[in-house]
Amino acid sequence: MELPNAYEDLSSEMEVDAFRRLFPLRYFERHLTESIRPDARPLRKARDTTIALGAVASADGSALAKIGSTTMLAAIKMEVMTPSLESPDEGCIAIDFHMPPICSPNVRPGRPAEAAPVLSKQLSDTITSSSMINLKELSLVSGKAAWIAYLDIYCLDADGALFDAALLSAAAAFSHLQIPVVSLDSDGKIVIMSEEQKEKISETKPDNKEKRKLTLSTIPFSLTCILYKSYILADPTAEEESIMETLVTVVLDSSGQLVSLYKPGGSVLIYTSAVQVNLLFPPYIVMALEICRDLYHSCRCCFVIFDINIHA
Amino acid sequence: MEIDRADGRTPNQLRPLSCSRNILHRAHGSASWSQGDTKVLAAVYGPKAGTKKNENPEKACIEVIWKPKTGQIGKPEREFEMILKRTLQSICILTVNPNTTASIIVQVVYDDGALLPCAINAACAALVDAGIPMKHLAVAICCGVAETGYVLLDPTKLEEQKMKAFAYLVFPNSILSVLPEVSSPAKGEPVEHGIITSVTHGAMSVEDYFLCLERGRAASAKLSDFLRSLQSQFSGNSSKAG
Amino acid sequence: MATKPGTTSTTYSPIDPTHKTKPSIFTDSDWVRPDSRGFHQCRPAFFRTGAVNSASGSAYAEFGNTKVIVSVFGPRESKKAMMYSDIGRLNCNISYTTFATPVRGQGSDNKEFSSMLHKALEGAIILESFPKTTVDVFALVLESGGSDLPVVISCASLALADAGIMMYDLVTSVSVSYLGKNLLIDPILEEESCQDGSLMIACMPSRYEVTQLTVTGELSAPNLSEAMQLCLDACAKLAQIMRSCLKEAASAAEE
Repeated sequence: MELPNAYEDLSSEMEVDAFRRLFPLRYFERHLTESIRPDARPLRKARDTTIALGAVASADGSALAKIGSTTMLAAIKMEVMTPSLESPDEGCIAIDFHMPPICSPNVRPGRPAEAAPVLSKQLSDTITSSSMINLKELSLVSGKAAWIAYLDIYCLDADGALFDAALLSAAAAFSHLQIPVVSLDSDGKIVIMSEEQKEKISETKPDNKEKRKLTLSTIPFSLTCILYKSYILADPTAEEESIMETLVTVVLDSSGQLVSLYKPGGSVLIYTSAVQVNLLFPPYIVMALEICRDLYHSCRCCFVIFDINIHA
Repeated sequence: MEIDRADGRTPNQLRPLSCSRNILHRAHGSASWSQGDTKVLAAVYGPKAGTKKNENPEKACIEVIWKPKTGQIGKPEREFEMILKRTLQSICILTVNPNTTASIIVQVVYDDGALLPCAINAACAALVDAGIPMKHLAVAICCGVAETGYVLLDPTKLEEQKMKAFAYLVFPNSILSVLPEVSSPAKGEPVEHGIITSVTHGAMSVEDYFLCLERGRAASAKLSDFLRSLQSQFSGNSSKAG
Repeated sequence: MATKPGTTSTTYSPIDPTHKTKPSIFTDSDWVRPDSRGFHQCRPAFFRTGAVNSASGSAYAEFGNTKVIVSVFGPRESKKAMMYSDIGRLNCNISYTTFATPVRGQGSDNKEFSSMLHKALEGAIILESFPKTTVDVFALVLESGGSDLPVVISCASLALADAGIMMYDLVTSVSVSYLGKNLLIDPILEEESCQDGSLMIACMPSRYEVTQLTVTGELSAPNLSEAMQLCLDACAKLAQIMRSCLKEAASAAEE
C-alpha cells in the first residue's frame, strides 16, 4: 500500500508509521492525491456493513450493527407507563446512547464522553422526525397504560461514523422488536400472559394472541462524509475524523425525504448556483445524497435477507 | 401563496433585531442579541491560559458553556454547546493564540423561537467585542417549513410548534470589505454563498431544503448588513435596526 | 415529542406472575439444573480475542447467557495527579449495560467487582515491565447470566495477553454455588439467586497458584476442600480453551 516517495520532503527519510503520526494531514493528502485512502478504499466508498438481529436474549428487540470496525449494540426493553394527558393513545420511546470506556481510548470511566449526550439527542430527533414508528401502536389501554420502549445503544468499538452505525442498529432493533403479550390484571397492572392464559383468552381477544411487531412506515438511513478541500470521503474512520474536521451527516428515509442534514461548523461548504436548473445546487450535498442512496440499497438488501418489511 | 403570521410579518420578514455590545464589565467581551422576544446574552473570557484538558500547542481552544433560562443543563443544551463550539471554531483564526482557551458563556434570557441562531449571532458579536481574531463573521438564521411547503423565516415559538420541519443555517458574512477578491475554492463562487453550519429537525423533501437555503441566504444579507453596521460603530453603544 | 426521559420513575416492567414463586425443585433431592447440566459440569465456554479494534487488546467471552467484552488500553501515561512509580499501575472497571439484567437497570459501574477484578489480576501481571505507566482494563457485561465476575476475570486475562502485557500466567476463574448439600459449578443467574453461599477462585493454572479466593456463606471444611478442588480442575480446563484461542489468533495473524 505504501508508494515509493518521489518528493523531497521528510517522508522519503522517515518510516511510514512515524510519518503518519508526525504529519497526519500530509500523510492523508498524499493518499488523496492518488484517490485512495490509507485503508485502501476509494474516496467515496463506505466500509462493509453487517447487521445481526437478536444479539441480546434478555431484551425484547436487539441488533448488532457493524460498519467497518465501528460496532453498535442496540437493545429495546419494553416497560409500561401511564400516557400523558395530551396524548392518551400514544406510547413513547426513550433513546439513550452510551459510550462505555471499552469502546475507545479517549473515554475514561466516571467521565462520560462529550459526544454521547449529543449523539443521543441527534438519534432521538432523527427517529422522531422520520416518523418511522407510529406511537399509537404502542398504546395498551387508552389513557391508562401504554408501552415505553427503552432503546439503549452501546458503542462497543468506536472507529468513526458513530451516528450512522447507531442509527442503523436502532432501526434494526426496532424491526426485530416483538411486543410481549400482556393482559390487565385485577389491580390494574399489566402482566405478561402465561401460556395457558393465552389459550383461554385467544377466543375473546383475537388481536392480542401472539407477539406483535411494529409496522415501520419508513426507515431512516444516514451517511457521514468528510469534506476536505475538494475531496469527499464517505464513511470516515476515527483517524480520518480526528484529522479532517468538516463532517456532514445526511439522513434520508426510505421514502426519499430528507430527515436531517447535519453539519456542525467546519469549513465553508460552497455551492455553485446552477442557473439553468433554477435551483441552488450544492454538488457536495447531491453527491452525499447519492452515496447515501447506494448505502441505503445495500442496507435494504440486509433487511431483505432478514425478512423485514419495509413499506417504501 | 399568502400565509398569515400572527405578528403580521411576511414569510421572509425577520423580527426586529437589536444588539448591544460591551454590556458586562468583567468579561473581555460581551453582547446581547435579540430577535423579537428571543434574547440571548453572550460573554467571552479570554484568550486565557488553557486548562489541562483543552490545551493544544498548535491551536487556541474554544469552550462554550450554555446557561438555560431555568433548570439544569440537559441533552439539548449539550447539543447546542457542541454546535456553537464547532461553528465558532470554524470562523475564528485559532493559530494566532496557540495554547490558550476562550470561554464563551451563553445565557438565554428569553426563548421565543429561533434560539440557537440567536445564540450564534450573540456569540459572534461578543467575540468581535472581545477582539478575538476571526476570519469572517457568521450569521445564523432559522427557516421553518410548514406542512404545505411554505418556508417561514425566523419563526416564533408558537410558529415553530406548527412547523413540520425547520433548518438552522449559518452563513459566512461577506468578507469583501476586508479582503477584496479572495481566491475562493470553487470556480469564482463567492464565499458568502456557502454554509458553515446546517442543522435540521423534522423530515422535509430535498427541494424544501434547497428552498430554505435560498431564502435563508437572501435574508442573511440583511443580517450581515446589520452586523456590519454594528462594527462601524466603534463607540460600542447600543444600536437598533428593524 | 416521543422521548420523555424524565418519566422513568413511573414506568414498570410487566412481570410474569407465574415466575414470582421460586421454583421449589432446588430443595428436592433429585432435581436437575435448569439447563440440564450435571452438578459438576461447566457451561460451554466461547472466547475470541480482538473484539475491539481501537483497544490495544480485547477479548469477548460467552458462557451460556453471560456475555462480556473486555478492552485493555495501554501501557499509557498515568493520570497527571499520580506520583512517580517504579512499577506500572493497573486500573480496572466493570460496568453493566442497562439491558444486562432481566429488569432494566441503570447501567452503572460496579465498584465492588472492579476492585475484585483488580485484585485477581494484579498478582499475575509483571508490573515492573511498564514503569510509570498505567494499563487500563475495562469490562462491559453485555448480558448477565450468572457467574459474571469469574467470566470477566478470565476474559480480562485473555485481553491482557492479546494486548501483549507481560504476565506470569493466564488467570482463570470459576465459581461454585452451594445449595444445601449440593455443589453447583459455574452457576447461572437463577441458581445464584437462591444459593446458600458461594466460592470463587481465580488462579494461575500452570503455576498452580491462587490469586483470589472468596467464600461467602456457611461451608463445612470437607465441603470447602471439595469445592476448591472442583474449581481448580475447572480452571485448568478453562486455561486450555483460552490457550487454544490465543494460538488460533496468533496463527491467523501469521497467515
